[in-house]
Amino acid sequence: MARSHALYPALCAALLLAGCSGGGNSNSAPNAPLSDLAVLGDKIFHDVNLSAANNQACSTCHVKAAGLANDNGAAVMFGGPGLDKPGLRNTPSLTYTAFTPLFSMTDDGPSGGFFRDGRASTLTDQAQKPFTNEFEMANADAAAVIAKLKTRPYLADFTAIFGVAVLDDPATALARMGAALAAYETEDQDFKSFDSKFDAWRAGKAQLTVQEVRGFALFNSPSRGNCAACHPSTSADGVTPALFTDFSYDNLGVPRNTTLEANNDSTTVSYIVALQRADYDGVHRYYDLGVCGPLRSDIGKTYAEAGVCGAFKVPTLRNIALTAPYFHNGVFSDLRTALSFYVTRDTNPGAWYPKSGNIVTKFDDLPETYGGQYKVDLSNPSSDTKYVGNVNVTEVPYNRKLGDAPALSTSEIDDVIAFLCTLNDGYDPANPAGYIKPQQCVDVQAP
Amino acid sequence: MKLKKITLAAASLGLTLAVTHAGIASAADSTTTDAKTQKLEEQIDSLAQQLNALKAELNQVKAQNQAIVAQQTEIATKVAAPSPMENLSLWGYGEAYYSQPIHDNSKSQADLARAVFGIGYRFDDKTTFNSEFEVEHAIASSEDAGEMEVEQFYVDHQINNSIALKAGLFLIPSGLLNLKHEPTNFFGVQRNFVETFIIPATWREGGIGAHGDTDIGIGWDVGVTTGVKLSGRDATTGLKAETALDLGNSGAGPLAATHQELSLANASNLSQYLALGYKGIPGLNVGASVFTGKAATQDPTVNLGGQRVTLWEAHSRWTPAKFDLSALYARGTISNTGAYNALTPGAPNPTPSAFNGWYVQGAYNVWQNTTYRLAPFMRWEYYNMGESFSGLVPGFEPPQAGDRSLSDHVFTAGLNFYVTPNVVLKADYQTFSINEDLSRLELGLGVAF
Repeated sequence: MARSHALYPALCAALLLAGCSGGGNSNSAPNAPLSDLAVLGDKIFHDVNLSAANNQACSTCHVKAAGLANDNGAAVMFGGPGLDKPGLRNTPSLTYTAFTPLFSMTDDGPSGGFFRDGRASTLTDQAQKPFTNEFEMANADAAAVIAKLKTRPYLADFTAIFGVAVLDDPATALARMGAALAAYETEDQDFKSFDSKFDAWRAGKAQLTVQEVRGFALFNSPSRGNCAACHPSTSADGVTPALFTDFSYDNLGVPRNTTLEANNDSTTVSYIVALQRADYDGVHRYYDLGVCGPLRSDIGKTYAEAGVCGAFKVPTLRNIALTAPYFHNGVFSDLRTALSFYVTRDTNPGAWYPKSGNIVTKFDDLPETYGGQYKVDLSNPSSDTKYVGNVNVTEVPYNRKLGDAPALSTSEIDDVIAFLCTLNDGYDPANPAGYIKPQQCVDVQAP
Repeated sequence: MKLKKITLAAASLGLTLAVTHAGIASAADSTTTDAKTQKLEEQIDSLAQQLNALKAELNQVKAQNQAIVAQQTEIATKVAAPSPMENLSLWGYGEAYYSQPIHDNSKSQADLARAVFGIGYRFDDKTTFNSEFEVEHAIASSEDAGEMEVEQFYVDHQINNSIALKAGLFLIPSGLLNLKHEPTNFFGVQRNFVETFIIPATWREGGIGAHGDTDIGIGWDVGVTTGVKLSGRDATTGLKAETALDLGNSGAGPLAATHQELSLANASNLSQYLALGYKGIPGLNVGASVFTGKAATQDPTVNLGGQRVTLWEAHSRWTPAKFDLSALYARGTISNTGAYNALTPGAPNPTPSAFNGWYVQGAYNVWQNTTYRLAPFMRWEYYNMGESFSGLVPGFEPPQAGDRSLSDHVFTAGLNFYVTPNVVLKADYQTFSINEDLSRLELGLGVAF
């Protein structure tokens, strides 16, 4: 959904309800003026003319109305000059991204960083990458990006901040563009509005419904949903409102999305073929191991680190109802399916993984080396009691086995979705009727 | 001695001069007389010189004597003045445990639970300083469970015989154990659960207080201190404890993680306390106390109406003959917890509206010989860290699945063997009614000096 910079102000005017980036006020809190650097970042963020074919901007895949994720429901976005090159991973939301800490390896595993695998340690670093990614904005190199920058009407804004000389050093100039984008994503209220119904409720300006409260309780309860274990619902520092992520990484054994070109073992797409390996397990030639690659290669080489292969960064759940599809490979198109997977992955694996007779191959998107391609016999519950591998099978709700009851019932899943729907930004407690719910929030079954 | 010699020499010289002067007058015209006169003059000159020398020597001796006297006076003065070190006092206490779960020996643990050293200083007869520094669990580092703590740090000033003031970090006068928490002062390897979970011994706050005793045997202690900060409590983590030792160290008591210990304490609201005790009858100690105050500000973005935290207790200890009998009841309340708990529905560790506990304990000195003393004891106690709650979503009351019960009856039988009044060896057997798997055998060593 490309959007030209020239058309942007007009679109803002037309889409007042959705709100627009660019230093405007959010609908609940006064917005401090953006710095010159952030104003520059705003212009870069929305400029499709910085891509190879002048058809893609950051805002193409990070749409305000979709929680700053893609708004077309696609599991992965397409890029390149012809917008025909498939991406490898589902577009993450950029809301609240500036609160992400630097990437680090802690005693508890990876933490923080940007992209779903944390390969960019800082937001400035991350913001530069799509410009030269061949299946995103597809510029040949930094020099090509800067050549385009030189043609843009805001070049004077850039040189007023960074000087003219830096343009002769494309890599540095691109880094400065990244800094401008990072400033924009840090300062602009669209990225941190904290104006959901949940926030209004915290401030005593709105009431949660009985179903939303029950869903919140299920969300928090360690013995039920246990969602808050990785998506904390309380402030981490006593100042910043809850971010609904602890920035940790986890391997949930998400099913392989066979619709992705990357998962087509017969693909001829060159950059995917380059990432294939013949020595995984003989089942597939391409696996997305998250923090262990294939888009980064610095983690997972030691025995101790091998345990994190297949883990992806825990995303914020703010605006989650707006950012479908879900998980790194976009395999689930709605929250109900995603939550059902959480609670029945182990109690009813046949619903999620390839099945041949009574044999189900769990964790089919992970090489056998790391505990993937794990076969269980539906007719023999004891076949699922001795799992060894990287997938999280110890924490609620993933600690179930064949024959166990799911951690949440169907109606309780509705309760949790009702609560998750309170996390969408743009709720005005003075005019609650003016808030337009995403369809999957409308579809929640009342108890 | 030397002074006497000089005096005699001077006397003999005077006598000699008188005799010599008479001889000169009787032989005035003769040459011999002239010669004699000259000789006598020479002798006189010589004697005069000697006299001068003696005078000089006398002055020197006098000066030396004065210096010696001054030196002796100075030494005497120094001996009489007290040394600054004499006003300094050092003390300490500590305890080590061995704890073996009855049902699972693999979870046995040994721990140097606390090593505490105190430094005090008496500035004068009225003003003293006291401090205690504690290392818990032997090692205090970012990677270990131990902590380094200042347990007390206050100045006490006696106004008159019946009133004293104190200021700084001091112990709250609540219960039997908090003020006398040294291992030689209590029965059982570890402190009782009531004075761990309900009264958060060793409970200290920063503030000012006044205390004293009356002629009729009533002691009193009143003060204003820092108080409770409810956000110190983690609502999102339920009570987990693999062993009773874990349970005791869990900090699960409603006030355990919320009293601030004067560590960058939020002082937006202050608390007050009052303790009264009667010691008018030898061997009997009856007392009660109350501590109350609004909890420190929780979250400035949320109006929760404020929570008042109150803890009161009554206690008694009676030591007739060889018996040592004691009982205690304590109950705490926290107001307006509904709004607070509603912020985290479903959380496994909500803040209770009320919590309570009690114990009765009896000990008997069965044997005593010189410094040795053997005292078996029994204690029955009950604690309930969640007597009532408000603001909870139905179906999510604690304990949630996988968590420990917040209440229990605990029966303890054991003995204290005092090697000296300062060194005690302990052993006990402890059973839990609800958390049955926590039952254990314990051994301990306690030292206090």
